[in-house]
Amino acid sequence: MVWVSTRWKILLMLAPTLIVFTMFVIYPLVYSGMFSFTKFQGFGNPSWIGFDNYVGLFTDPFFWQALQNTVVILVVSIAILIPAAFALALLLRRAIPAGGVLRALVFGPAIIAPILVGLIWVFILDPKIGLLNRVLGDLGIPSLQWIGGNYLTPISVSAVFIWSSVGFAMTIFYAGLQLLPADVMEASSLDGATGWQQLRFVTIPMMRETFAIVTILMITNVFKIFELVYMLTGGGPVHRSETLVSYMYFITFTNQQYGYGMALAVVITVLGAIISVGYLAAVRRKEAKA
Amino acid sequence: MSMSTSINTALDRERVATPPGPWTRPASGGRKRRGRTVAFAIGVVAYLVTFLIILPLLWIVLLSFQPSGNILSNPFSFTHLTFDNYVNAIASLPLLRMYGNTILIAVVSVVIGTAISFMSAFALTRMVFRRRRAQSAVRFYLLAGLAIPVYILLFPVYRLDLALGIFGTYAALIVPYIAVTIPFNTLLMTGFLREFPGEIEEAAIIDGVGLWRLCWSVVLPLMRPVIATILIFNVVYVFNEFPFASILINNPDMVTVSLAVSRFQGQFTVDYGGMMASATLVLLPQLIIYAIFQRQVIAGMTVGAVKG
Repeated sequence: MVWVSTRWKILLMLAPTLIVFTMFVIYPLVYSGMFSFTKFQGFGNPSWIGFDNYVGLFTDPFFWQALQNTVVILVVSIAILIPAAFALALLLRRAIPAGGVLRALVFGPAIIAPILVGLIWVFILDPKIGLLNRVLGDLGIPSLQWIGGNYLTPISVSAVFIWSSVGFAMTIFYAGLQLLPADVMEASSLDGATGWQQLRFVTIPMMRETFAIVTILMITNVFKIFELVYMLTGGGPVHRSETLVSYMYFITFTNQQYGYGMALAVVITVLGAIISVGYLAAVRRKEAKA
Repeated sequence: MSMSTSINTALDRERVATPPGPWTRPASGGRKRRGRTVAFAIGVVAYLVTFLIILPLLWIVLLSFQPSGNILSNPFSFTHLTFDNYVNAIASLPLLRMYGNTILIAVVSVVIGTAISFMSAFALTRMVFRRRRAQSAVRFYLLAGLAIPVYILLFPVYRLDLALGIFGTYAALIVPYIAVTIPFNTLLMTGFLREFPGEIEEAAIIDGVGLWRLCWSVVLPLMRPVIATILIFNVVYVFNEFPFASILINNPDMVTVSLAVSRFQGQFTVDYGGMMASATLVLLPQLIIYAIFQRQVIAGMTVGAVKG
């Protein structure tokens, strides 16, 4: 290896990646950080205003609304998605005719562009033209404002998110289940463990790492939800259904309050990092105890 | 690392045999009959759940064949299905252009991104740095990008494109796509190369092979599985990407598929049939390609995500 490792050859091999990455990821990150301390409307020079943007966020009711919506989506999605995906993996793992086809179909929504997922679900959730209210109406259940009303949109966004991710999460669980050592499973059933006991005391504890991976993946994905809100309600009415990211997009690109938008972007990045790291630390601590 | 490699093998293996459920016990007589009933019930539930999951897609396709009058009044009717919506959709959508732009952007960015990530990954795992610390520092620097959400990059990249004079060209979108996939590519490639013994390359060098031949015809072929994962993961990402595209493209001739879909509601307003036909026209090619490469796509995306 030393023969081919002259200094200029190493530089040549690293240069394209380092230049593109530094220019289009690291420099923009620093730039956003700097901009979050300025007031800038797209013309003239940005003026330095210290922490005013951050202070402004704390007194902005739409920011709190967006934060609340994001937390609701996060909690509802994770609480339903993880058990549902695991149950689905257990189900599709049984010998079923054409089981492979079923697994592929269930995974399908994961490859559809989020923007198209949003459009598709408009035709399910829309209070007037949507499938859901139509079916409920036929059953004699009164219509609800699934999207565009004052309260339900975050729940509906969770439902759509769960729909598009459940097959994906299921596949990871499915692969994890395939990896369980057969002898342990056999031993526990020979010892007379019932299906439920085996699941509770053998399968789930042995899958802990998989649960952690799926959960962390889904948390980060919830923080990226944007297209769904963009298509379902556009954040409205009056920012009631905004998520943090969609509100940031609105402030930055519709309102052109660039400095303020970047402050919110910084807050989103830090929040996402804290939640992910915190979750991982909690899992580690639990594992150390066990 | 080991977790995800083994997920890959598990996914590869899945076709070979479905092992019996972990808690099936040898049964006989009446138990056997009960077992069969349970198995049947499980099958029914599995098919039902799958049907519910694909129901929204079926609904879109059904609507796309309904005459406009039916969509609001009687969408479940199967008696007057028509191709009119498709005629409208094809007439009003620049389908070729949408797909052409998206494929061009995806192919160029993924090919270049993979190539340069391979070069740097090779340097970071195989070449001998005078200072070891520098090597791991560079690797860590690239991996740190995994923690950065793209949303914080949107506005600065827009400004950067303007400053570099590439705004309004395909490069405005291609270069950022390359950049944001570098951390992930680096993770997968350096991970693979680190676990992989370097002896073959040592032998090739002793045989007098130069750096170019070493990378191109010795190391690259060994990395085929990783490269496949990276290509699939990145193509799906770029193909479906919306936030960057919505900000970095302002020329109607350069519209991507995602961007076009985001404008359907404004474009078709109350022509729901036309909108659904357009949605189906976008959905179908994707699903067909997925059906063909189903196993590779599922494995590529899952392994990719688990590692990333």
